[in-house]
Amino acid sequence: MNWLSNKLSSGPSKESPNWQWFYRLGSPRWFYLRSGQWLPWLSLAALLVLATGLVWGLAFAPEDAKQGNSFRIIYIHVPAAFLAQSGYFIMAIAGAIGLIWKMKISFMVMKAAAPIGAVLTFVALFTGAVWGKPTWGAYWVWDARITSMLILLFLYAGVMALQYAYHSVDAASKASAILALVGTVNIPIINKSVDWWYTLHQPATIKLTSAPSMHMDMFMPLLVMIVGFYLFYAVALILHTRNEILRRERKTSWVRELVTAKAGL
Amino acid sequence: MYFENIAALINMDGHGVYVWTSVAVTLAVMLWLVIAPLISQGRLLKEVSRDIQRQQDRELAAQKASNHEESN
Repeated sequence: MNWLSNKLSSGPSKESPNWQWFYRLGSPRWFYLRSGQWLPWLSLAALLVLATGLVWGLAFAPEDAKQGNSFRIIYIHVPAAFLAQSGYFIMAIAGAIGLIWKMKISFMVMKAAAPIGAVLTFVALFTGAVWGKPTWGAYWVWDARITSMLILLFLYAGVMALQYAYHSVDAASKASAILALVGTVNIPIINKSVDWWYTLHQPATIKLTSAPSMHMDMFMPLLVMIVGFYLFYAVALILHTRNEILRRERKTSWVRELVTAKAGL
Repeated sequence: MYFENIAALINMDGHGVYVWTSVAVTLAVMLWLVIAPLISQGRLLKEVSRDIQRQQDRELAAQKASNHEESN
């Protein structure tokens, strides 16, 4: 046990320089100033990748043998559904970090992630409904995948609503974080819904563990769109987080200095 | 291009209305996700600069008042 206690006692002090970035990231001021430098490049990258993927998928990819051209909705439906779920994890993890380490910025990230995730979930549901009409003959079916995605939308809405249900920002953040964490149980249900239940929804096109079930000419633009949606998500999350930082820190001296410098007062 | 011409791209063998509706709605809400925080940020920054201005005015007025008292 000696080696263990040695390790434990010497561990944190040795590692502390490596953790500096973590604490710096927790400073709203640092994040605000630094993210302002990232934003133009990230936005440009998101725009270029999304435009490439969209033109490629809509105009150049071959049509599906069974579904014809309606399958092209996949190029926005799948990336939106992907990010709706990844975004939920990001929100829940940010909430957990806020609860455990009491980092101010992580609760702001959590709050920022909720409306973005809700919009992306709406996009996945809406494009799915529009795709369902020519493919299944119905806009809406109470299918396991669709219902669990609708629950995801309600969870996002719940996290957003809780932010306004308390007078104290701290209490609101904690309650939202707990709801976000409890709601993560829905994510594996969404993922496995097409395997666990007999559903109308087609099985996953992309799996990490196996080759995609679609032709490369169709798959490549989808991959580009997923990357583009991730970049877009990063831009949107940074913008919403900066907004939240400004709202909460507007009385602080660093925000005042920033505004004074900008306006040349 | 996979399609013969632009008209075929728009029509997509009758599926165009579904595909283009999805694309239009998606792009619209994504654009809104980016524009909404920018608008609100502009409003917040303006509010802060108004606060600073107001504080400066108050300080200036206080200074003037004390100068006035001294000269009396």
